[in-house]
Amino acid sequence: MQRLIVTSATYRQQSEATPKLLELDPDNKLLARGPRLRLSAEMVRDQALAVSGLLDRTLGGPAVKPYQPGGLWQEKAGIRYEQGSGPDLYRRTLYTFFKRTSPPPSLITFDMPTRAQCVMRRQRTATPMQALVLLNDPQYVEASRHIAARMLGKETLEDQIAFGFRLLTGRSPDPSETKALQTLYTEQLEEFSKDPAAARQLLETGESQLQAGLDPVEWAAHTMVANALLSFDEVIEKY
Amino acid sequence: MSDPFYDAGCCMNRRHFFSKLSLGIGGAALAFLMGCAQTSDQLAAGSAFRGILNSPHIAPKARRIIYLFQSGGPSQLELFDYKPTLQQRRGQDLPESIRMGQRLTDMTAYQNSLPLAPSLNSFAQHGNSGAWISDLLPYTSKIADELCIVRSMYTEAINHDPAITFFQTGSQQPGRPSMGAWLSYGLGSSNEDLPTFCVLLSRGLQRPQPIYSRLWGNGFLAALHQGVQFRAGGDPVLYLNNPPGLNTGDRRSMLKHLARLNEMHYDVTGDPEIQSRIAQYEMAYRMQTSVPDVTDLSDEPEATFELYGEAARTPGTYAANCLLARRLAERDVRFIQLYHMGWDQHSNLPSDIALQCKDTDQPSAALVTDLKQRGLLDDTLVIWGGEFGRTNYSQGTLTETNYGRDHHPRCFTIWMAGGGIKPGLTYGATDDLGYNITQNPVHVHDFQATILYLLGIEHERLTFRHQGRRYRLTDVHGHVVQDLLT
Repeated sequence: MQRLIVTSATYRQQSEATPKLLELDPDNKLLARGPRLRLSAEMVRDQALAVSGLLDRTLGGPAVKPYQPGGLWQEKAGIRYEQGSGPDLYRRTLYTFFKRTSPPPSLITFDMPTRAQCVMRRQRTATPMQALVLLNDPQYVEASRHIAARMLGKETLEDQIAFGFRLLTGRSPDPSETKALQTLYTEQLEEFSKDPAAARQLLETGESQLQAGLDPVEWAAHTMVANALLSFDEVIEKY
Repeated sequence: MSDPFYDAGCCMNRRHFFSKLSLGIGGAALAFLMGCAQTSDQLAAGSAFRGILNSPHIAPKARRIIYLFQSGGPSQLELFDYKPTLQQRRGQDLPESIRMGQRLTDMTAYQNSLPLAPSLNSFAQHGNSGAWISDLLPYTSKIADELCIVRSMYTEAINHDPAITFFQTGSQQPGRPSMGAWLSYGLGSSNEDLPTFCVLLSRGLQRPQPIYSRLWGNGFLAALHQGVQFRAGGDPVLYLNNPPGLNTGDRRSMLKHLARLNEMHYDVTGDPEIQSRIAQYEMAYRMQTSVPDVTDLSDEPEATFELYGEAARTPGTYAANCLLARRLAERDVRFIQLYHMGWDQHSNLPSDIALQCKDTDQPSAALVTDLKQRGLLDDTLVIWGGEFGRTNYSQGTLTETNYGRDHHPRCFTIWMAGGGIKPGLTYGATDDLGYNITQNPVHVHDFQATILYLLGIEHERLTFRHQGRRYRLTDVHGHVVQDLLT
């Protein structure tokens, strides 16, 4: 039945809608447009790992313990969270260790059920806490850095931005989007040139090695472009 | 501050709309895949969100709650429930005529005898109301006339996890939304800069019973209604701080262009959810300022620390959390939930409970006093209490100077103050041995119904459809205890 739904012409419609259609059918009960959904907690993280090239695709094995703010287990139950290292930090979210009395905060913030009861339908919310995860969780800052490194593989600024944009959204940016991201890049570049040490600090977020041969100031500026893209509505929503 | 719940003229939101639809499972699956069952509560205007209730069911008497949860089960017999008769019966076995088949925990069920253990503490009457309070609580005694002391609370659970879960979610089984989440869902946010439901943890000196983050979870409600834990240390809220090397200006610039990008996307799709997301990023940015602002105590005068005690200077203590609770209340946070762990005195009760009281008595009383001085007590409800009480008999050997007490669900004491609660009232009574309730029993669901009532909600009318039926905090139980209300 799922297959029937997802392969149907109805499901495969674009999710864009005219103002008139939105007014007539705000909740898409008549199915005149395609679905528009926020990605699930697992997808949000897996996507960031995949586009950054960090994703470890190993199948199976015991659960892993990726990044988690310190002290969360300690303050509730007096037990230490022994964070993993290396590939354990980049496995699919499916393999993340789940302690029900203190579940991974970056996941339950994105409406992952806490596994106390069966849930037929997940909630999909937009909250300030989700914004803070995507902006500041080392997992996403590190992923941004790796996306930025991939962007720097292109010659011109325009190509770099077009590549990053396409990587995350699956389409090319239009001129106004390119302009917004170029301005963002230029502003960040200016700030980081004043303080290359800060650029370096930002890049050192996360445990993965820094690739050699990249200019830290440009790299940091593009890290912020990539970080913005990870928070872009079109990236964490399915269209 | 603007409070949508108190401002009339709210429109119906999407969940409200959907709650009126009855979808079969296939229909729900289709709706899920087609994205027409989005349940974000956000309306596009502003980041303060509206609740499901358009207007109060009844006139609210409280706008916010500070719940000082004393985790572990404080002994009512040492603190509030004075039982001189126990002195005369000291060491005698608990009569079956009193126990009446009450199940005991495994910790005392196999004990050879259940020797009645009177408290070593002395009690006196305090204030004009003449409330009985023990010498362990000198500061609380001074605010006796502000308090409504309920000595006839009872619960159904006998172990910590189910008992706390029952108190906070209305069910012993995990998975239901907690009280703060229900209020967020029902009433919406009262604040543009801070979360609606804030949680603060602290622990006593001994190794306490653990606590679980699902206690402040959203259960089957949206994650938007989750309690947000404030923590002592570098990141007062998880992921609040920018990564190293990134300053506020850089972040501002990045968010400005991100908003621009999202706005362009909105122009194409016209989806109001995008505006909601933009607003959430704005709020996240404001929280980066407002949270450190509320947790930074450097602007508090000396008098504050005289009132709450020196411990209030140390982040993460109960005293510091009580002070933080007042600061959050001043900023109109709706539900401020404290947990203080360490009340589980199975053994060494006389010495350990004294330590617990030393940590909690002064700050709890200071909070009530402070709120009153600032005119906030009128519309802030303060609740003090644990998940159950303790037995009138000793767990382990009863000696001249030492004893322990096991968990006791049949009677225990909590107190409330402020927002619509009758001050200077001692409510309910237990028998001479302090084992059963003899007058005005208050069940956990009655307590919950009363709390909702004070906030303007009829507990039977705040529901959420889940797994084929409507759920509510009080499930299918609960009566408002009118006797406690002003």
